[in-house]
Amino acid sequence: MKKQLLIIPSILFLFILLTFFYLLTIERNPSELPSNLLDKKIPKFETESLLKNERFVSSKEFGKEIILVNFFATWCQPCRVEHTYITRFSNEKGIRIIGINYKDSPKKAVKWLSSLGNPYSDVPVDKDGRIAIDWGVYGIPETFVISSKGIIKYRHIGPVTGKIYKKINLLIKDIE
Amino acid sequence: MIKKNFIIIISICLVHFFSNNAQTVEPDEILKNQEQELRARNISKNIRCMVCQNQSIDESNAPLAKDLRILIREKIKAGKNNEEIYKFLTDRYGDFILLKPPFKLNTFALWFLPLIFFVIGIFIVFFHNKKSKQI
Repeated sequence: MKKQLLIIPSILFLFILLTFFYLLTIERNPSELPSNLLDKKIPKFETESLLKNERFVSSKEFGKEIILVNFFATWCQPCRVEHTYITRFSNEKGIRIIGINYKDSPKKAVKWLSSLGNPYSDVPVDKDGRIAIDWGVYGIPETFVISSKGIIKYRHIGPVTGKIYKKINLLIKDIE
Repeated sequence: MIKKNFIIIISICLVHFFSNNAQTVEPDEILKNQEQELRARNISKNIRCMVCQNQSIDESNAPLAKDLRILIREKIKAGKNNEEIYKFLTDRYGDFILLKPPFKLNTFALWFLPLIFFVIGIFIVFFHNKKSKQI
């Protein structure tokens, strides 16, 4: 009886080993955190628009169709990398994207958009980073998928890669 | 020779120890009201810098940490109490922004498992001793 009980620690140890191995092999970024705003309404904001003369009012823009919100800046290198995918969302898929220009120089941003192409339907300006704090943003680029009811359905931290591009496209098919 | 090296290493460690305590709060951020400033610093020490993740915003040089430090001071000046400020931050960034996990139903295991394991350990030791005494 006692000898049989001795097998329990080894089974436990094996279990721990397998758990660690599993966590090592799955693709996971431990510094990436789930958004606290998932399945909640978007934080309202009102600010000036980079390219238009009228003010950007979030309550007027959201809640009609699926919208992507992309936080970007010209000083952010990964933003340049993901730009091709952001452009593909608007050009190939016809999705409306709102690009929030985070703590940037308006002049540089206008230049950046005219040289790389502008995939955004509107570019609200977040001069002091307060809008980003309301959205729980901590490392740009960050991309949010907003449902047609104005609910945050998905958040991606870091540049949109090929894999994330596919993931977001699949997700958009599922939500309204 | 070894002794000399030892002294050098110790002094480097000491320098690092004190430089780590150097203030990251920049002069233009500091509130004139000392009481309010102290409150701001105490709150900042409990708030995680989401960029560096193992530093508090009081110690971090990250731009977001600075923004949050200023935001906390603005809220204090506006007459908000500590609970309201913590709630503002956790509403946006989740409980992870608090360096000390809150006491909640879903953190029950985190807080009580060590105690439960301790009790189980005591029982095991107790019964083991009882048995060996019999022999």
